[in-house]
Amino acid sequence: MTDTVTGAPPMQRSGRRLIDLAIEYNFIFIFLVVVAIAAILSPNFMTPTNIANLFQQAAVVGVVAIGMTFVILTGNIDLSVGSVVALCGMLVAVLLAGGMPILPAIAITILTGAAAGATIGLITALAEVPSFIVSLAGLVSFRGVTYLLTDGVPVSGLPPSFGAISSTMIPLFPGAQISSMGLIFIVLCIAAGALLRFTVFGESVYATGGNAEAARLSGLPTKRILVLVFTVSGIMSALGGILLTSRLRIGQPTAAQGLELDAIAAVVLGGTSLFGGRGGVLGTFFAVMLLQVLRNIFNLLGLGSFYQMTVTGLIIVAAILLNRFIDIRRGRA
Amino acid sequence: MMEDVLSIERLSKRFPPNIVALADANISVRKGEVHCLLGANGAGKSTFLKLIAGALSPSGGEMRVDGRKVSFRAPAEAATAGISMIYQELDLVPQLTVAENLFLGHPPQRFGFLDKRTRRNRAKEALARVGATFSPEDRVGSLSIANQQLTAIARSLTRDAKVIIMDEPSAALNETELKAVFRVIRELTAQGVAILYVSHRLGELREIGDRVTVLRGGQTIETFDVAGTPDSALVEAILGRNRTLVERRPRPPVTGDVVLKVDRLTAAQGLDIRDFELRRGEISGLTGLNGSGRTSFLKALFGAEVSEAKMSLNGRPYRPKAPRDAIRAGLGLVPENRKTEGLILDAPIYRNATLPAMQGNFLARHGELKAKTVPVLRQLSTKYGAPEQKVIQLSGGNQQKVVLAKWIIKGASLLLLDEPSRGLDIGAKADLYRLVEELAANGAAVIVASSELEELYAACDTIWVFHEGRNIARFDPATTDQDTILKHQILGEHHHD
Repeated sequence: MTDTVTGAPPMQRSGRRLIDLAIEYNFIFIFLVVVAIAAILSPNFMTPTNIANLFQQAAVVGVVAIGMTFVILTGNIDLSVGSVVALCGMLVAVLLAGGMPILPAIAITILTGAAAGATIGLITALAEVPSFIVSLAGLVSFRGVTYLLTDGVPVSGLPPSFGAISSTMIPLFPGAQISSMGLIFIVLCIAAGALLRFTVFGESVYATGGNAEAARLSGLPTKRILVLVFTVSGIMSALGGILLTSRLRIGQPTAAQGLELDAIAAVVLGGTSLFGGRGGVLGTFFAVMLLQVLRNIFNLLGLGSFYQMTVTGLIIVAAILLNRFIDIRRGRA
Repeated sequence: MMEDVLSIERLSKRFPPNIVALADANISVRKGEVHCLLGANGAGKSTFLKLIAGALSPSGGEMRVDGRKVSFRAPAEAATAGISMIYQELDLVPQLTVAENLFLGHPPQRFGFLDKRTRRNRAKEALARVGATFSPEDRVGSLSIANQQLTAIARSLTRDAKVIIMDEPSAALNETELKAVFRVIRELTAQGVAILYVSHRLGELREIGDRVTVLRGGQTIETFDVAGTPDSALVEAILGRNRTLVERRPRPPVTGDVVLKVDRLTAAQGLDIRDFELRRGEISGLTGLNGSGRTSFLKALFGAEVSEAKMSLNGRPYRPKAPRDAIRAGLGLVPENRKTEGLILDAPIYRNATLPAMQGNFLARHGELKAKTVPVLRQLSTKYGAPEQKVIQLSGGNQQKVVLAKWIIKGASLLLLDEPSRGLDIGAKADLYRLVEELAANGAAVIVASSELEELYAACDTIWVFHEGRNIARFDPATTDQDTILKHQILGEHHHD
């Protein structure tokens, strides 16, 4: 019913605008429905501790998914993020275990992640190779480098203060607190949302993904933009790796396998188009939380991970079909 | 010998609601003849060919092959009936071998399995008939364009084609290659195959054609014997006798300084432009047949296509490597295809309109961007709901105004408009040219490329005729009639006012 907005009398316009908004942000409604179901199914769900846990557990995938949102908005994909998370998680552990102070260790790790992302972006943009294959090569190679760092052996003996980065509990208001890790995720979401919404760089990301040729003919540095979104993805993966190692108190080279798929699923579930140009971080945030709530509710109900995997896949398909249906109704198909 | 292999009567094609692409087409193609089809841009040639080849279904009329009435629902049915179409963009699969391409869709089979030996042998036969010197095992992608053309002809033969339609085969061939193709055409016609040959070029028609049918305004006008018909009669048939002449609006004399001076610009596909000049306040029109190089020239000026050039802009050497450089120098391009090149359809109006202007800033202040957009849209009398509306929801004319708004907001002083009126109705076209005149009056220099000469004639100070990549003639429309310009367009004669 939203396909003839222009011809509607003014009385119906605001109503239609509301429906439009509801459709645009349908992922929020889906999220709320799943939360309501979870609350009904388990009395332990809506407790402050459980909610704080949700954010803590969602943070690593969430931070990585923020970077992935930038990449997918340009119509590209970054399959290397899981390996970059592992590489950076190991790197920071190795540096700390070797006695380097925390701040320089983190700085070097973030630069490494940025360099990893920029490399993939440069090859994609300059050689005009699909990012799918370039980042697939990155997935394999970066994991290899991760193992080479310590010959595949986990690194322990990290300073206790490093663990505080992820697990300091911060009171929000009486009776509710959130871990520093969850808070970092939320802050990064807001920062990324602002970057996309209020800067020319953000506009350029949408424009490049929406129509790369029109963007180029409007004078946008489309290649530079591609390199930048992959750099953002690399930085976010580095932050994800740092948070992961901080939470585990150990550098684990086998960590974050398949994380790229969780991140991509979240971005797409959050309404960002794989073809680029449409979507945003708000959707990614809710989708990450939705997937986490699903995992959480299965745990609370005592159902194993086999059920979790099955149902998670079904929900992703259902959400994608819903968005496709909406697109067709709007005549965008 | 004189029997008709293909005869068509009163064929028509309408696209709802009210577009008539082909009104009344009649043609009879005899066995063993080369029958040429001639017509200006928009005369209905492509529609006519697609109907014959079964790629479109007619709204009315009758088609007969060998005297039997036919109606095709798909290209495969036309191929089975003996009608084979060779598109200008050859529809071969470059990754496959010649033999595989020849039998694509109808491979020889034995017991349900692919019979490679038969395929190879029959491919050899077909290739021998077109005089090919390459092997059936060669990859099509590794062949020259001329040899690909021969492959396409050979493919028609594997289908036992009675009529082969060739849509501007010469467009991508050089002289020698074209000679080879002509030799094959003569051999085939000697064997009784009929060729329906489409081309803009009268010279080719003289060389290969037996008869020629002229199409104008969706109707076949007349069929001539090539030998006994002078060029002037053909040109008259193409243009029409009683053409409505467009009123030229009075234009102020162009007195501004030279803005753009192109000594020489060369680029891919034989583009070679010399001594092109444009002054402040001047509207310069580029006319020419499809593929005459208008679009490439504009894209090269805009840095969007690679070129070798010696040119200057406002007296300084100008060498754009990317559109960014051109935009910084004050150029703006309204590209040929607004949907794929001009607009981000899913994005709001104001974001599209301010995309070039916001580059170089850090923050995108949405309030400011909208405030910049709204007055320009009003100046262009754009009809829209709100600046946040997606451009996809606008009509074609209003979408074009958004593209134009991009460069007005950016403050471009040299506008390049490529087919700006395409798909616009009469009112929207008039609006557009009124705006262009206003921009010129305010000191902008404008180049408009269009296949509609009437429009250029009404609005431009100078009209350049492009022909096969060269700017061959320059006219002052105030002192030249349209037919003279059109004749130069078709015949490629040089002239400089």
